[in-house]
Amino acid sequence: MLNRIIDTVWGQANALFYPFRRRRWVDLVVILTGCALLFGLVQLGQQWTGAKRPVVEIDLSPASLPLYTFFSMMRGLAAYVISLGFTLVYAYWAAKDSRAEKLLVPLLDILQSIPVLGFMPGLVLALVAVFPRSNLGLELAAVLMIFTGQAWNMTFSFYHSLKSVPQDLQEAATVYGFTWWERLKWVELPYGTSGLVWNSMMSMAGGWFFLMITEAFKLGDQDFRLPGLGSYMSVAVEKGDTTAMVSAIVAMVCMIVFLDQVLWRPVVVWAQRFRVEETAQGEQPRSWLLRLLRRSRLVRWLEVRRAHRRHLGLAKARTAPRPHGKRRANTIQRAVANVALLCLLAVVVWAAVSLVRYLSAIPARQWSWLTRAGGLTLVRVLASTALGTLWAVPAGLAIGLSPRLSRILQPVVQVAASFPAPMLFPVVIATLARFHVGLNYGCVLLMLLGTQWYILFNVIAGSMAIPGDLKEAATSFRLSWWQRFKALYLPATFPYLVTGWVTAAGGAWNASIVAEYYSFHGETLKTFGLGATVSQAAYERNLTLLAAGVLLMSAIVVVFNRLVWKPTYQLAHTRYSLTK
Amino acid sequence: MALDPNAQPILELRGIQKSFDRGTGVPLRVLEDINLDIRPNEVICLIGPSGCGKSTIMRIFAGLIEPTQGHVRYRGQKQAGLNSNVAIVFQGFALYPWMTVEANVENVLIAKGLDRAEIRERTNRAIRMVGLEGFEEAYPRELSGGMKQRVGMARALSVNPEILFMDEPFSQVDALTAEGLRAEILDIWDDVDRNPSSILMVSHDIKEVAYMADRIVVLSANPGRIRTIVENTLPRPRDTRSPDFTRLVDQLHDIITSAELPDIQVSTVEPSVEADIVEPLPGAQNADMLGLLELLDTLGGTCDLFQVVAHTHVPFEKVLTTVKGCEMLEFVDTPKRQVVLTALGRRFVQGGMDERKLIWRDQLMELKLFRVVQDMLELREGSLAREELIREIASRLPMEDPELTFETIVAWGRFGELFAYRKEPGVLTFE
Repeated sequence: MLNRIIDTVWGQANALFYPFRRRRWVDLVVILTGCALLFGLVQLGQQWTGAKRPVVEIDLSPASLPLYTFFSMMRGLAAYVISLGFTLVYAYWAAKDSRAEKLLVPLLDILQSIPVLGFMPGLVLALVAVFPRSNLGLELAAVLMIFTGQAWNMTFSFYHSLKSVPQDLQEAATVYGFTWWERLKWVELPYGTSGLVWNSMMSMAGGWFFLMITEAFKLGDQDFRLPGLGSYMSVAVEKGDTTAMVSAIVAMVCMIVFLDQVLWRPVVVWAQRFRVEETAQGEQPRSWLLRLLRRSRLVRWLEVRRAHRRHLGLAKARTAPRPHGKRRANTIQRAVANVALLCLLAVVVWAAVSLVRYLSAIPARQWSWLTRAGGLTLVRVLASTALGTLWAVPAGLAIGLSPRLSRILQPVVQVAASFPAPMLFPVVIATLARFHVGLNYGCVLLMLLGTQWYILFNVIAGSMAIPGDLKEAATSFRLSWWQRFKALYLPATFPYLVTGWVTAAGGAWNASIVAEYYSFHGETLKTFGLGATVSQAAYERNLTLLAAGVLLMSAIVVVFNRLVWKPTYQLAHTRYSLTK
Repeated sequence: MALDPNAQPILELRGIQKSFDRGTGVPLRVLEDINLDIRPNEVICLIGPSGCGKSTIMRIFAGLIEPTQGHVRYRGQKQAGLNSNVAIVFQGFALYPWMTVEANVENVLIAKGLDRAEIRERTNRAIRMVGLEGFEEAYPRELSGGMKQRVGMARALSVNPEILFMDEPFSQVDALTAEGLRAEILDIWDDVDRNPSSILMVSHDIKEVAYMADRIVVLSANPGRIRTIVENTLPRPRDTRSPDFTRLVDQLHDIITSAELPDIQVSTVEPSVEADIVEPLPGAQNADMLGLLELLDTLGGTCDLFQVVAHTHVPFEKVLTTVKGCEMLEFVDTPKRQVVLTALGRRFVQGGMDERKLIWRDQLMELKLFRVVQDMLELREGSLAREELIREIASRLPMEDPELTFETIVAWGRFGELFAYRKEPGVLTFE
């Protein structure tokens, strides 16, 4: 009898504590991570608001690398948060206000085409002037530069999602009386999540490129560098410290892998629930971290608390049925939309007027010279895209068509694609110098370094998406390798290839600004071209020429997009699309 | 239950007309002079060929779409905007795939502003009502079509609507499941003390309509008009094999068929007299028309229209369109519900490919529309832009969807090798 009582009591008590004993270390890790993050943020706060340094001292010892890496990462993440906020507001506005849409969408298209690096000097100077005594201006400039490299494609993606929410889902929301907020929260945001997550990953990867350059920015004899991986690398190059260079590269790779595992992987897995296709997917993406977190008692407890609070709040807020103030709300909404639209118009007009004022100072002779420079850079951009295509298409097909290869190499390609090319510039330039190749041709190689991955990435994705029956048909007809390439692989991957081209060419224009004009071991290597012109104008603080150069470059990019890429894209999606 | 035809209707449509702007300059009129009531305690069904605007009527009732002319009344009052006393069950389910079954229902109630306890209670009741217990935590993608529509029904019922709207609710559900769901919906409706008081259902299935409805509204297309309203007084529950039921189905068949295939001898139409009249083209596909002719040939040249449906398992509407297409080219004749192969049709179907194309081309040239296209093509020296032809179609056939007509012209013309069409620049050229 007693035995039985003890047994039950002991057993029940034991069972009660069981979940706490199991996986306790997971909770410990969660708590420790939280503390580490807090400590890092405090450090960051001190760094941002600290007194402005005239010259930044970079410590090349490997022990200081983790902190530098952390600073760089936080800048990237801060920029991402801004990008996300911008995306939500801008895309929502463009999708919901049909008058503003006519202005916002073309504007976004232009913003996306502008080589943002050209603006860096202006932005840095302006923000440093606003915060003359603290580091905040410089930090903000870096974050904003990264933001300009991240935001546009995210915004486009979310805008398209908002515009393409299926009609019946919208109608259901209307019939059941969702407010705009409920509609956004329950219908539109979830519908856009898949695209947003994917584009966020791409954006983050692209952002490191700008981070590397802004962190190592010097204008003439003025030092605008920030403690981080970019400046670490630049100092290492200046001093010719190979060990430091290699460890910086390793730190960069570690950071990319870390973010992939700790941030993107769990997010991708979590976003699975927002898939719209009804069919089950072949291979489910998995994340060890998310699985672990879901096991954590602490996280689960927080979730339950949140849900509980939400329900309580709900009961309090909604004891009475919703009042019928709809008409009033509509008038307010209308007024807000009008004011916002007016502000937007004012900004656009002001920007146009000040640009014209600036540019009127440039003589016609200089314009023709600029145009020639632009033509030459265009040729380089196309050459680098062509070179990238030449190797990336066969390589991408080989990887994408072999399940084994793609499983092994895709993560590698992903990391390589996120890796900021400017980190490798010194190595390549040194090699080029040894073979006596000038920067005139050499800069094509520098551009290629950053942009080839976009092509490779897309070709891999395209070849993985070729339907099995088409491949089987090719096999059963005994098509030779070349026939197969011509009749199946190339057409089937063409839409992806075009996407790769557009992204690669856009990246190459940005790269031209750093690649045509490069400071190396104290001397300046330069060649004739629009990118070099922009860089030099910034260096010499010739703002008129800088504005003209950036404007011309944007114009070339926009016109080229309209005349070449858009028709190609349309062709790819009407004739070579496999989904329709 | 006894229906009182003099009872005050819940919802009324008065003089409704609706046009859509297709961006071609000429608005497409989809509804013309619609007057319709929904009375308390009835099941009312809308049926008609595709393009008769039955879904549009439903959306105007609900307040999702504003009519171009006329107005909607709810209990005698003019209705402005959305009617909060209706719920809709959608053809494509319209479930939010990122929410569980339970959340799909709950969020609708949260949006209604109910308190927590009532949300819980209503969600549970709705889920129980449609037999979804145990599936609360499932996501829609894990469910079959029938189960998904149950969620759609639970969601609609949870808001306790006075009128339940159903837009072809069972067309994406397999036949057996649909049968069960129909009976269940009627059971739920049958409870007089509870909402929904009435059901408005859009359907394309004659049997379904005969089984469910108290009143059947038959619509005709281009533009959509009410052709007739059939009162269905068969006692419930209805037996689909009873003679009365079969008679009703046959009667409905006849009404719809006679609306769509008026017995006009096409050959008696003289082109010279009717020079400016352009016949609208039914959107029939070549392959379907060939298939129909082959079927008729193997069946000895004649077949009942509904036998064709039974033989081919093709929806009734599509068969009707195909028959209309064949009739237009004088390949078949349609005395009442019979479809009869003509001599020309027989020669066509038994001929080789070359002969077929020859006959087809000759028959096309008998149609004014194709002569217009041919003339335009000559005028433009063998290169006619798609947009230009679409504008021409829109002005000559204001009641038709010009894009659809264009597609049919291209498909038929290509088969007859009258002209070629390249999609990329969008031009018609001579073959």
